Amino acid sequence: MAELLTSKKLAIKVVLCLAVLAVVMGFCALKGTEKISLTKVFAGPGENTDYDIFVGVRLPRIILAALVGAALACSGVALQAILRNPLADPYILGISSGAGLGVIIAILSGISWSFWGGSPMAVFAFAGSLATVWLVWYVGRFAGKSQVTSLLLAGVVVNAFFSAVIMFLTSVANSQQLRATIYWLMGNITEKDWSVLLISAACILAGITGLFTICHRLNVLSFGEEQAKKLGVNTERTRVLAFGFAAFITAIAVSLSGLIGFVGLIIPHAVRLVFGPDHRQLLPLSAITGSTFLVIADTLARTVFGQEQLPVGVITAIAGGPFFLVLLARYSRKVSWLK
Amino acid sequence: MTVKKPWILLIFAITCLFCGFGLYWRAASQKTLRLARTSMATSSPKRIISLAPNITEILFELGLGEKIVAVSSDSDYPAEAAEKKKVGTFWQPNTEAVIAAKPDLVITLWFEQQKAVADSLRRLGYQVLLLRIEKIQELLTAIEKIGEATGCHQGADELVGKITGRMNNLRLKLDATDKIKVLWVVQSEPLRVAGRNTFVNELIELAGGENAVGPTIQQYPLIGTEQLISCEAEVIIQSAMGTSSITEQQRAAEAFWSKRPNLAAVKNNRIYVVDSDMVLRLGPRLPQGVEMIASCLYPDIFKQKPAAVHPVTPKGVLWRNLQFFGILPVHRISNGVQLTR
Amino acid sequence: MSGIIKVENLSFGYTPQNTILKNLSFEVVPGAFVGIAGPNGAGKTTLLNLLCGLLSSDAGSIRIAAADIDSYSVKELARKAAVVASEFVPVFDFTVEETVMMGRTPYLGTFGFESEADRQIAVEALNATDTGHFASRPLGSLSSGERQRVFIARALAQNADILLLDEPTSFLDLKHQVGIYDLLKATQVEKGKTIVTVTHDINLAAQYCDKILLLGADGTYEYGCAGDIFSPEQIKKVFGVRVFVGKVGREKFFIPLGKFSKDSRQISEKANNDGPAGTLP
Repeated sequence: MAELLTSKKLAIKVVLCLAVLAVVMGFCALKGTEKISLTKVFAGPGENTDYDIFVGVRLPRIILAALVGAALACSGVALQAILRNPLADPYILGISSGAGLGVIIAILSGISWSFWGGSPMAVFAFAGSLATVWLVWYVGRFAGKSQVTSLLLAGVVVNAFFSAVIMFLTSVANSQQLRATIYWLMGNITEKDWSVLLISAACILAGITGLFTICHRLNVLSFGEEQAKKLGVNTERTRVLAFGFAAFITAIAVSLSGLIGFVGLIIPHAVRLVFGPDHRQLLPLSAITGSTFLVIADTLARTVFGQEQLPVGVITAIAGGPFFLVLLARYSRKVSWLK
Repeated sequence: MTVKKPWILLIFAITCLFCGFGLYWRAASQKTLRLARTSMATSSPKRIISLAPNITEILFELGLGEKIVAVSSDSDYPAEAAEKKKVGTFWQPNTEAVIAAKPDLVITLWFEQQKAVADSLRRLGYQVLLLRIEKIQELLTAIEKIGEATGCHQGADELVGKITGRMNNLRLKLDATDKIKVLWVVQSEPLRVAGRNTFVNELIELAGGENAVGPTIQQYPLIGTEQLISCEAEVIIQSAMGTSSITEQQRAAEAFWSKRPNLAAVKNNRIYVVDSDMVLRLGPRLPQGVEMIASCLYPDIFKQKPAAVHPVTPKGVLWRNLQFFGILPVHRISNGVQLTR
Repeated sequence: MSGIIKVENLSFGYTPQNTILKNLSFEVVPGAFVGIAGPNGAGKTTLLNLLCGLLSSDAGSIRIAAADIDSYSVKELARKAAVVASEFVPVFDFTVEETVMMGRTPYLGTFGFESEADRQIAVEALNATDTGHFASRPLGSLSSGERQRVFIARALAQNADILLLDEPTSFLDLKHQVGIYDLLKATQVEKGKTIVTVTHDINLAAQYCDKILLLGADGTYEYGCAGDIFSPEQIKKVFGVRVFVGKVGREKFFIPLGKFSKDSRQISEKANNDGPAGTLP
């Protein structure tokens, strides 16, 4: 019989991947539109623009990209597992339209005071996402026998309705408010306060750990409700936990950086193609791969055209597609539903 | 199953601890930021960065052009501005580049993206001036504030005086006339116009006109042909959006309006294409913009006649209808005169 | 000795008008091999779903190991009873050995990592069902018969006292049909497990099962030893089919006779002349 996944083996894989991530982060921190030298950075703060750029602009951005990438990838893993659908992404159950609605309301109402953690848009986006997810969950409970199908349908309905509201509000907004909304929603990695990064890191890591505890149950859940119950898995509780943690970390990611697409959909697949579908391994490795991917994407977004900063979502879409095709070509034997 | 495993509580407790610490840290740093802001240096800054084109124009008007070290990429007026170092776009300024230019003062606008950049610059200890410029009154306040921050109080006062003076003169000139109905087109396909609660409306009224469109909920509503006819606009002004040159826009407008030969404005050749940069940019050239609009509305009062767009309107009803239904081609006579700035 | 499964006055219907099981009572002693037989729609699968806790009864009680079934948590019940039914293949491709390992889920700790002992049990289960040689192949690449054996292996890995099976041999070839029943019998005899299996194959049931629960479509039932339950009259009454009873050694077997069976008078002369004569019921 082949390798058994033990906690030791997993720990080794995780440490190795973390090492790769650290190297990538370090490398990307040295890239930017301005040339800086590390020796100058080490001279410390003061009238030191190199230090300001490195520690004040680049490091926070890279750390944010890592956090958001991890959050989106893990959320994708969890949602693909409980919905048993390989096309699920973190925004499928209403988070995108909920966040969008929150953002446009914040912009239109002209609220300018900021809350502890972030700007009013961030807070409204967070609240909007969670409220929408709760609404989808609530509606999904009443809509028919299969929990999974009813959740998906409720998500479609809520998304459609909220999109209509967003469209109306958009038509009322002036052009500057409109562009502000669109840019926010396009997904951007910007430099944030260190305290904000600390809070987000704590929350996202807690959420990912929470997901990790139910990973072996997600494995069993892939076989269907009935089989999972027969194997002793409390399917209702597992679904609630998975859904709750996934929605929480996605809402935090969205409130920090807008709607960055592609990461939550593609990274789980890529990691699954290479390492197999066992969620105990899939989750932590997807988190690290998501971080690495988004750090690289953000670095490209801010350096490739010089002074013209691209939104990071553009890079994730352009880079993600072909990357996935290559993986698919090499490992297609492993995946039966693609045959 | 309500068996609580102790380490779950541990993770939860640690997270709360970190969050609590983070919130405390945030509150503390906000306080230091507020203190730093109030004790802003009053000495005149030597290296200024402007992240918006209208701010750049104001700085040049105040004679601070030499001190500007970098601008946003769409700061194109005056010509010297275009030669300054660029630090990102209006919508996404490049914080790194701003820092690398070692500014003493950074001036930004109020909206979210620029506010975020301003916040992170402030955190790093740079002086930032945030301005809200969405109305004419706010423009004048902003000029005063810039004057304060750069030590050019006198220059700022003079500029404000100049602008208000010109506007007052204009008002006097137009006082006696009846208001002309103007339809301001922002987009031709689909037809979208500026409504009453927009900055454009302020401009129209300052220029002695009246918006042909009544009060609407939407700021830039779409209008249909019926409304187009019933609003009885005497003058149609199209603001040139996008990057194509004025001549091209004029040609496009000719083709467009030639299809609607029954409108009063078309029949009387009162269609004008204006450069939105000068007119819609809330900056020191505002009075010129308003004057240009006024000269479109009352060409007799003003010396400089704007070049109108001449859609061809054939005399006979039959010909007009044949053109309307596309049976006869529309002849284009291009006027070819570029609007002077 | 009280039964490991005790059903008393069980009634159940999917809709209030249509009760499938009416006042069903029977008891299974520990270490018994029980077969559940009956026509389509009699409620065999329903009964199995009730026994493993997926459905809850409208009336009556089910006791597993002397405790009411509702008193068990999902995990505890999974340690007591393992189920094999027609399962579907997941979207994500797990290998055979990963699938069998999932049988150990009711025994795993918080993070769900298996121990060496768990692995041993899984290996034994693979070998017992003759599935070890394709252990690293993905589940989707197997034939339905091979997949069925994998699911049986998973249930064996679950190491529960009771094994509930729903037509475990439906896709299997002759060799594996007998092989699975041999395996089940061995599990019963050597490990003392209780086996309850739903089956359409009355011959195999008669051969291997100690007791038979014969469910009728109208809610009636018979419970007793195979020899007593399976008789041509009972089969005609419950299944509505004539059977031919034969004996080979000590084994009794039943062959269903349809309209075109060779003994039927309705066929042509030619067939009559060709066919051997058997004893008609």
